[in-house]
Amino acid sequence: MPKPDAKASPIRSDFADDADMAELIAMFVGEMPNRISAITECYEEQRLTELQTLAHQLKGSGSGYGFEPVSQIAAQLESALKSHVELEAMRNEVESLIDICGRLSC
Amino acid sequence: MPLPEKQPTVLLIDDSVEILRLLEVRLRADNVHLITTTNGLDGLRIATERRPALILLDLDMPMMDGFEVLRELKDNASTANIPVIVISGSADTVDKVAGFDLGAVDYVCKPFNMPELRARMRSALRIHQLMQLLAQRAQIDGLTGLWNRAYFDDRLAEEVAGHRRTKRPFSLVMCDLDLFKSLNDTHGHPAGDAALQGFATQMLSVLRKEDVACRYGGEEFALILRETDATQACALVERLRVMLESTRWALHPERTITASFGVCDFALGDPALPENWLKNADNAMYYAKKHGRNKVHNAADTEPNAPLAKAG
Repeated sequence: MPKPDAKASPIRSDFADDADMAELIAMFVGEMPNRISAITECYEEQRLTELQTLAHQLKGSGSGYGFEPVSQIAAQLESALKSHVELEAMRNEVESLIDICGRLSC
Repeated sequence: MPLPEKQPTVLLIDDSVEILRLLEVRLRADNVHLITTTNGLDGLRIATERRPALILLDLDMPMMDGFEVLRELKDNASTANIPVIVISGSADTVDKVAGFDLGAVDYVCKPFNMPELRARMRSALRIHQLMQLLAQRAQIDGLTGLWNRAYFDDRLAEEVAGHRRTKRPFSLVMCDLDLFKSLNDTHGHPAGDAALQGFATQMLSVLRKEDVACRYGGEEFALILRETDATQACALVERLRVMLESTRWALHPERTITASFGVCDFALGDPALPENWLKNADNAMYYAKKHGRNKVHNAADTEPNAPLAKAG
């Protein structure tokens, strides 16, 4: 799995200017490295149920934290997993998700 | 009478800590007291203990499935009437129908639009408030604001059962406005209504908040004085008698209104039956009526089978 390139256009939260959300967004972004590792591991070890859970969680929370693209890509991955698409066929979604997650910034 | 909640309690059950954190921040502006948990079982316990005004329930939880939690909530009498908004990552119609049919008042899909979720939450809270108001109104006498007979019968049954279990004392008072028909005939129904309302207000000023006051019939009232024996009850009710007697009424300043009171702290016959308590209090009240009116009569003074007074 290619490592995410954080220097490529960072993605700011839609709520970046909301004082109430600052701390929350920081926590969310701070958890991304762990998320990325987990997604990578699950994909490489073919732990698809766990991968689906990870995708589901990101889908549910992404846009709430102002990261609409995270929810969208995670939804696509979850959908692919639910329809039992072949591992190789979902590589794109996985890579996109990892890429996006790596570029999140406060 | 309980007032509508100023700051309703909302329980959030969602396995995602991120969602809980997010909702805690976003719902601050809506003046609700939030309780959160990531665990369905814990959520059930909290719902039973705290009786929130609303529950937001995530359906996709790994440990205890959200549908199961919803079913449990609706099966349990103490939580069945708490409105539930289910939150789900699934937009499948099957799941939506299942959620609604299990009793949810609303269904929101993840990722949710926050302003929309908040609006739906406020809507559900309004519904909850209306439900509470309705329940109250159905048990309240419109004219006097006192509890109605149906409510009273429930409370009396509870009190009698409690007395049976723990021997905790209580007094039952039946009272009746004297010469009420004559008052209405002479001064019209506005005078009668004013008398009933005035008496009710005085009653409430004399009773403690754990007592129950009800309009039992046309001019008849019933009171439950909790943790009180008949001697204490007579003293309390005597204050009410005097208050009523000394009132000057705008519609007929020359005519006073009085009431007769029957008090008892034991039943005639089997104490497990509420009607045996009512009979005793009623008899005592009629005694007061027959012996001059405008008085308080303690059943123990005339009941041959009255239990012996407690020592000390």
